[in-house]
Amino acid sequence: MSLVLSVRELRKRFAGIIALDDVSIDIDEGERVGLIGPNGAGKTTFFNCMLGMLSIDRGSVQLDGKDVTGLSVSRRARLGIGRTFQRIELFPDSTVRDHLFIAERIRRGNGRLWKDVMGLGRPRRDELARCDEVLELLGLGPMADEPIERLSLGQCRLVEVGRALMTEPKVLLLDEPSSGLDRVETTKLADTLRDVQAEHGFAMLLVEHDVELVASFTTRCYVLDFGRIIVDGPSHEVLASPEVRAAYLGSMEPIQ
Amino acid sequence: MVLAASVGSDLFRGLLQGMPAGAVYALVALGFVLTYKTSGVLNLAFGAQAYVSAAMYFKARVLWGWGTVPALILSVFILAPLIGLLLERLIFRYLRSSGAVQKLVVTIGLAVAIPSIFDVLASFKVLSGRTPVGVINNGATVFYDPFGVYAFSRNELVAMGTAVVATLGLAALFRFTALGLRMRAVVESARMTEMNGINAERISAFAWTLSSLFAGGAGVLIAPRFNTLAAPDFFNLMVVAIAAAAIGRLLSLPLALAGGVGLGVLIAEVNTFLPRWTDQFTWLRPIQDNLTPAMPFVVLFAVLVFLPGIRRSHDAGDPLASVDPPPRTLGAAPPDPGRARVAMVVQFAIVAMLGYVVWTQADKSWMFLITQAVVFGTIFLSITVITGMAGEISLCQGAFAATGAFAVFQLVDHYNMSVLGAALIGAVIAAALAALLSLPIRRLGGVWTAIATLAFAFFFDAVVVRLPFVGGGSNSLLTGTRVPRPVLGPWDFSDDRAFLVLALVVFVVTAVVVTQLRGGTFGRTLLALRGSKPGAESIGISGGRARLTAFAISGFIAGLGGALLAMQQKNVNYTNNFAPFAALFWLVLVVTFSMRTVEGAAVSAATYSLLDSVVLKGTFLGWLLRDTSRIPGIFPIPSAWRFILFGLGTIQFARHPEGVLEYAKRRRSARAAQRRETPPGEGPGPPTAGAGEGAEARPAAEVTT
Repeated sequence: MSLVLSVRELRKRFAGIIALDDVSIDIDEGERVGLIGPNGAGKTTFFNCMLGMLSIDRGSVQLDGKDVTGLSVSRRARLGIGRTFQRIELFPDSTVRDHLFIAERIRRGNGRLWKDVMGLGRPRRDELARCDEVLELLGLGPMADEPIERLSLGQCRLVEVGRALMTEPKVLLLDEPSSGLDRVETTKLADTLRDVQAEHGFAMLLVEHDVELVASFTTRCYVLDFGRIIVDGPSHEVLASPEVRAAYLGSMEPIQ
Repeated sequence: MVLAASVGSDLFRGLLQGMPAGAVYALVALGFVLTYKTSGVLNLAFGAQAYVSAAMYFKARVLWGWGTVPALILSVFILAPLIGLLLERLIFRYLRSSGAVQKLVVTIGLAVAIPSIFDVLASFKVLSGRTPVGVINNGATVFYDPFGVYAFSRNELVAMGTAVVATLGLAALFRFTALGLRMRAVVESARMTEMNGINAERISAFAWTLSSLFAGGAGVLIAPRFNTLAAPDFFNLMVVAIAAAAIGRLLSLPLALAGGVGLGVLIAEVNTFLPRWTDQFTWLRPIQDNLTPAMPFVVLFAVLVFLPGIRRSHDAGDPLASVDPPPRTLGAAPPDPGRARVAMVVQFAIVAMLGYVVWTQADKSWMFLITQAVVFGTIFLSITVITGMAGEISLCQGAFAATGAFAVFQLVDHYNMSVLGAALIGAVIAAALAALLSLPIRRLGGVWTAIATLAFAFFFDAVVVRLPFVGGGSNSLLTGTRVPRPVLGPWDFSDDRAFLVLALVVFVVTAVVVTQLRGGTFGRTLLALRGSKPGAESIGISGGRARLTAFAISGFIAGLGGALLAMQQKNVNYTNNFAPFAALFWLVLVVTFSMRTVEGAAVSAATYSLLDSVVLKGTFLGWLLRDTSRIPGIFPIPSAWRFILFGLGTIQFARHPEGVLEYAKRRRSARAAQRRETPPGEGPGPPTAGAGEGAEARPAAEVTT
């Protein structure tokens, strides 16, 4: 398998605090990788630095062997880094299908101003068919024409996944997708993500608090604590390691 | 050595000269910071509030002959807090959860309405040629010259002293008192403050009362600076003072004081040294002639663009917002297709009937007003693009429109170019100007974009218009900025009816283009960016490029409309048509009706041009009564009511950002949907879950026309 995403020695400092201290991760094609860590460990900062939403002090991000460190967020997205957000970032004035359609149109890159002026910018049948295909895959078909204000939180998260899928990502970054969901919803979301990945074959990086989800969903995982990767390896081994327990629970001795 | 000593003494003189003006800027900047810290509102009505107290003080002190203390008590300690209390109780209390941009638009409306309300209620007329009196006897005539370099008037010393004392007092209030802490907490999250047992409404009312009191005091203190007493002067001064307030990101009182004084000193130093240098370096002369009057606006623009803190500051959100349901959509619900067809036929019939009446009955003056309404419809479509579609508040649409108008004037006057060709070139220049402007401000948040465009509008007004190759320089003072009507082959548009047809064609074509853009990729891209910038960028949308394109298209439309307006009036008429304050009123109108639709632009333009003649003068009522002698005595209503009505109309914008037209459509659709869902004979019944106004809505891009 070849590397799809490689982050090397990423460093980010806020005033006097080192939020990320030479963080490096690698993700192979089609792999499901987890990134866990206690609150304030730097997970979201890492995400934002990797995507170009925050500037970095040093380090590099490579996608499919190409250095994307200096590129804008939108350029990285067009090259194949898709993402979802911990706090929902949908478009309030659009329907579910519209979210997917605009992503599809941007991916195709055929939205020209003159076409809009000539009335050729409206959704085409093949574009809508592809949107409907992904909506069906995610189980959102029946609510394609609903405005997002009528959706549950779990459905909103699926719309974000669907929107990201339309960009045909090489790697999909999921930022705490279980946040705000109950156990049943989380399991359903994980099953859907597995199905979608099986169909599309992209890699995934899952940032998550829900250790159970990480254990069942990912094959490999990294643990971030105080801005440093403290452990990495197969998920079940990492989650059982004393360092991870210490990072999450502190250095308390078990009660006898 | 002599030269160095001379430079040193000139520097010192400039420093002293700049301090009184700086203290005035600082006073307004402090008021701005105070309002922002205590209410979370970037209050562009601050100047209007200051004007009201200054005018009331003048009326009581000079016209009624009251003493200083009773006049001060009435204007500053009674009227000003009362205005603040009313603003909080009637308006801002209901806007706590609204976005910063929505609140800003309301304050623009209030900036337009408040002076007119005062002038009408107090029968106050703009005072020109008389310098308002200060709060101290012989304030403008007794001077102190402590260093033998510059003599301070008593009024100036009072303003400087007050600025320092106010900074210390307000800083102490915020730093050391529980009340100050509570005021800041309410701004951060009124709901969380209430959870801690604090009455947020009372705190908010107090905050508005206090900031309004400060506005009143500042108004009375700075009034003697002008040789007239008019609201626009206070508005201009406020725009200058925003630069000082922005240095401290609207949060730091000491920085606002330092910024105000620094700005005053900088202007004084430039005024001191530039004339000396221009003797040696003649290339500096145009800068001296043109840049000096615009210095505050240049500084404001530079502060906004280059201060990293401003770029990073975004509208603060309520921490509890993450547990709120998703925001409701703003578009109207899709109407029942049958009803929509009927509505379209009815609308078409009304327009056709009006068109027939105008074509056959209208005399020259009515034809002029109606053509003007159509032309303004085109200009207002530029607001539909930039504000309705892109979600940006641009306060310099007047400058873009004026660019088109001046281009026609110059190209036809100097190069004998075809008028329509010149109009198109003017529109392209306006588009380029707008695109260029969008580059440095591309990273600013919504509120700061509005302020930056306001600074540009004032810069255009103070500098660009005066350039000979734009406004014609001194030539235009003699000959005016004449623009001929176009001739196209066999069609001579000097005939008013023919020109109306031309204006209609331009409006319809522009409206169709705007509608197509909204339904196409560009419109959906803007919709996505406005909904969530991170979300839009995550799928590859470039916010900067979309913003630049939106500005360019909006500039093109405004420029084209401005050129048409100049052709229609056969003159640019810059001050009447395109001055910054007039352009603020355009925005107020369009957002009140509907900023997202062509219909909104058309209705706003009709209102702008015709309200005075049709409604306020009683013409329409006379027509309804079929007898002009039966028109009630309250007509004609003063035209100031136009500003009052639509200034206050922006309050509707904050509650219903979709505009009154879309809101009415949404209500109709919601009622119709409820009727459809209710079986006959069962009555209306309770609404279904989630079937509120918002739940009935559909995206604007899909349904609006």
